[in-house]
Amino acid sequence: MIQTEGLTKKYGDFTAVDSVDLSIPAGEIYGFLGPNGAGKTSTIMMLLGITSPTAGRIQLFGEEYTSGRLDLRRRIGVVPEKHPVGMWSWMTAGEYLSFFADIFGLKNPGKRIEDLLTQVQLIGVANKRISEFSRGMLQKLSIVRALLHDPDILFLDEPISGLDPIGIKQVRDLIIAENREGRTIFISSHLLSEMEKICHRVAIIFNGKLLAEDSMDILLLKLARDREIDIDLEEVPAGLAEEIEKLDFVNSVSVTENTIAVKVPKEGDYRKDISRFLIKKELIPLQFKEKSISLEEAFVTITHDNVKLLAGVGGKA
Amino acid sequence: MKKLRFTLLVIALAVLVIIPAVADVPVRKEELIYSIMAFLGKEYSGTFARQDAGTFYIMAGVDNFITIRKTLVYFWPITRDWKVDTDALNKPFEGTIEIKGKNMPLKKLKQVRYTYYNAPGEYQVNWKVFMGSAADKEWKKYSELVAEYWKAVGQYYKDKARYEAGLNALTKRISEARKKGEDTKKFLKDLNALKKPPEQPKGPSYYVRPLEKAFIFNLPPGEYTVRFLTKDGKIMEGSEKKVVVYKKRRANGVGYDVIPADRWTRPVQSNTPSSVLYIDGTTDLYLRPFYQDEFNDLYYNKTIKNDSRGNPNIMKWVRIQQVPKARVEVTRKGATTQVVLEKPYYIQQTKGASLGYKIVPFDPKKQGEGRQPSLRAFYIPIQRDMKYLKVSLQDKNGNYLKGSDRQVRIIIRSQNSLFILLLSLLPLALMFLVIAIRSKKYSQG
Amino acid sequence: MNYRLNAVKAISRRKIFETFITPGFYIALSVSLLLGYFLINGFINSIDSSGLNYGLNPVYELIAKSLSGAFGGTFVIKLFSEGPFLFALYIAYIPFLLYLTISSVFKFGFEKKVGAIELLVYGPSDGTSYFLASLVKDIVLTFVFLGAILIFFWITAIVNNLVLGPEFFYSCIVILFLSLAFFSYGIISSVVTDSAASGIALFLGISVFFIILQMGSFAIISGYVTNLSNVLAWVVKWVSPLFYWHLALSSIGYGNGGVFVVNLFLLLLLSVVILVISHLVLKARGVRV
Repeated sequence: MIQTEGLTKKYGDFTAVDSVDLSIPAGEIYGFLGPNGAGKTSTIMMLLGITSPTAGRIQLFGEEYTSGRLDLRRRIGVVPEKHPVGMWSWMTAGEYLSFFADIFGLKNPGKRIEDLLTQVQLIGVANKRISEFSRGMLQKLSIVRALLHDPDILFLDEPISGLDPIGIKQVRDLIIAENREGRTIFISSHLLSEMEKICHRVAIIFNGKLLAEDSMDILLLKLARDREIDIDLEEVPAGLAEEIEKLDFVNSVSVTENTIAVKVPKEGDYRKDISRFLIKKELIPLQFKEKSISLEEAFVTITHDNVKLLAGVGGKA
Repeated sequence: MKKLRFTLLVIALAVLVIIPAVADVPVRKEELIYSIMAFLGKEYSGTFARQDAGTFYIMAGVDNFITIRKTLVYFWPITRDWKVDTDALNKPFEGTIEIKGKNMPLKKLKQVRYTYYNAPGEYQVNWKVFMGSAADKEWKKYSELVAEYWKAVGQYYKDKARYEAGLNALTKRISEARKKGEDTKKFLKDLNALKKPPEQPKGPSYYVRPLEKAFIFNLPPGEYTVRFLTKDGKIMEGSEKKVVVYKKRRANGVGYDVIPADRWTRPVQSNTPSSVLYIDGTTDLYLRPFYQDEFNDLYYNKTIKNDSRGNPNIMKWVRIQQVPKARVEVTRKGATTQVVLEKPYYIQQTKGASLGYKIVPFDPKKQGEGRQPSLRAFYIPIQRDMKYLKVSLQDKNGNYLKGSDRQVRIIIRSQNSLFILLLSLLPLALMFLVIAIRSKKYSQG
Repeated sequence: MNYRLNAVKAISRRKIFETFITPGFYIALSVSLLLGYFLINGFINSIDSSGLNYGLNPVYELIAKSLSGAFGGTFVIKLFSEGPFLFALYIAYIPFLLYLTISSVFKFGFEKKVGAIELLVYGPSDGTSYFLASLVKDIVLTFVFLGAILIFFWITAIVNNLVLGPEFFYSCIVILFLSLAFFSYGIISSVVTDSAASGIALFLGISVFFIILQMGSFAIISGYVTNLSNVLAWVVKWVSPLFYWHLALSSIGYGNGGVFVVNLFLLLLLSVVILVISHLVLKARGVRV
């Protein structure tokens, strides 16, 4: 659905985006991650046609995309990070949405506006001036605006930033629901825990270069150095941790109340061996839990600690 | 003592007045100037271009007479005007003027003798210019006419003296006879035998300017540079000038002198074709139509006086001469068109204590022998309720003259001024209405 | 192209609606009509038995003296030759033109700064659609202004037995084209600057420069001068809307319809050139500040 080849943006001598290749298939929730100044916004601006690339090409829906292709841009919905209330403040939510429906050339948009406002629970304030809206209400209104023309791709820039937990859930549910209806979703966010919950695939950009792009499970697996197995026991006898640590395949052990966390190499499954060792010690494991690393940990790993590792785990640095 | 104090006061005042005047005595400066006798479309007028003036302005296609001389130039602060003192110094130069234009090869001009005069006929403007031998001939002819006139005047005074002497002798004889109680009827025969009083001879109806020598500038429109070469072929320093030669944009437009009956000394001119003349309708109007030509405001002003100011981007109408034997057509709303002819009128002082006058039709019998009409004009009666009338002009052949239309509108000082003021505030009322409607909508949200 | 046209239509509709629900438009219109009212009233009070007598009304005396001092007596005679409406039209037009242009430049700068234009660009629109919509709005409002002025002056004329005059109607046409050129200058001022304040400053600077240039070349002078400022003025006048406005009005004075139409066309051409430049600059600079 979105494909870039060698996408590059230079501002004078500074290279903001350096030969980035992206591939976003239809129907995915795609997370685009990167710290401030990594080239995230520059990439998005090019994808949205706001700025033109210095080099490289963008394909949208299988067609060459330039900023003049308003027909292709029409198939995109965008929720910017900040909602520019500014000059719209005199409008009611209904007028605001009608205005954008007008720009998109929608015929009889009343029903769609009503449905979407109902979906985000804003129908009750349709005649209220948007200058009186809270941040959460504005964010929901912005998503409704982006969905008005039923776009094939929805770009969301920090969609849940600044929202309260209920607002976050509402927006998250809305995103997931829209994706289930077949809409491709491109999210740029720094709230990694939320991204982890909703994204199918993520890309990580750093210093203008795309460091990683993969499905969430594979990326996390690739980036994990160890596999952590948490074992619940009735009681953790003294010295057990030290004994387990002496096992050949064990990298490290830690104890928290009745749980022993054992770190083993990520390549193998050592649950049988650990189980056998515990039974030998007349201890009965009540539960085995395998814990993978979080996206946040992976993000830190990939951007700071382990850049060299990337070449081997699918990064394109 | 009181008298002395008064005298001192008068002296002090006189000193106060005199000192600044003495201090402002203009400084006379010797300058090389161009004297310009320029044609203005209706008459000749003299001006001069100072040494500092880079340019002088003349009309195209007519004879303008230029001389170059040294004289004293000074600024006269009272009229804020530059003047020449030719009594103190007036040294004209003989030589050649070189003229060069963009599309004209270098042309050399020699001074020629010239004269000119205006001989008004049916039209007021009928200028004739003569140069060289033709000028000599014309001047000779005119000089002879003048000499003949003066001869006739001499004869007239002799005849008049003779007539008056005869008349006096007869009067004396009649009064002596009357004293003696004689019948004076016998003198009737002698009285009838006396010749009629001599008639005063009439001089030439035109004035021919005495012969002079000048460079004749008759050029097509454009910009030129000129310089003066002395007899020995040297360029005279400071003689280089730019000459702007211009033509009228439109000719034979029609303007009107509008004379209100209550202020005949203060006529206004209506020059702009198809313009509207607004009046308050309190008095009748007298119109005097004239032909006018259109010139560049700055150029024309500077042709009259080289130091004057003007607007180079505006054209102005200049009155040239009367429209002879014209007829004014007056159309009133809802009435048939009326043709008005020019008639003589007389300004009659009103009798009694109140000062004033009224304009009455001129009648030699009523106004008395020897009186002349005060004005010749077209009378347009005005009534306050007539609102609107249109005047246009026909020439002597009955042809409509283009651009002669004028609307005359009698303004109504309406009592509805407040209504108009409120009307101008209507948008504000609309604004409050819109704000109210919007507020209602928001409150529903 | 259809998307852009549709966007222009939608945005201009929104802008027109916004103008009609905010007080600025009504205040500017009222100020214009009030100025017209006072000038016409002053004119009526300056009429006596022989015509217009400026001395009868202190305001008119001041106006006549000032204009006469600056542009010459002939100018004043011509200005009022058809009545008060020509002068009143231009005086009423100035605050309205200022309101329209300054508010448009301000909004352009402000909407650009807060990202509102960017938001429009996310839709099937672009910066050019935005400024074209702004232009459409301003033109429509100029029509509204001229309509309101025409009705107001017409009623005033009927009530006081005045006449609007052909030059007044010609001027209404010229004003449309003149406004278009000024709106275009407003747009380019917004496009090349990053904030509303600098946009307004640039636009006012350009306008004042053109006005000074026009007044300078139109003022009465005492001599034929050619210096650097004259040469500069000669060069700059070709990009000044007031130059073509003056030529168009002069052509009415001597009844040359061809020259009138040519100058309207030149005003249009000037506007198109400025808009094309604005489009190219906006394309290069983008709508993000």
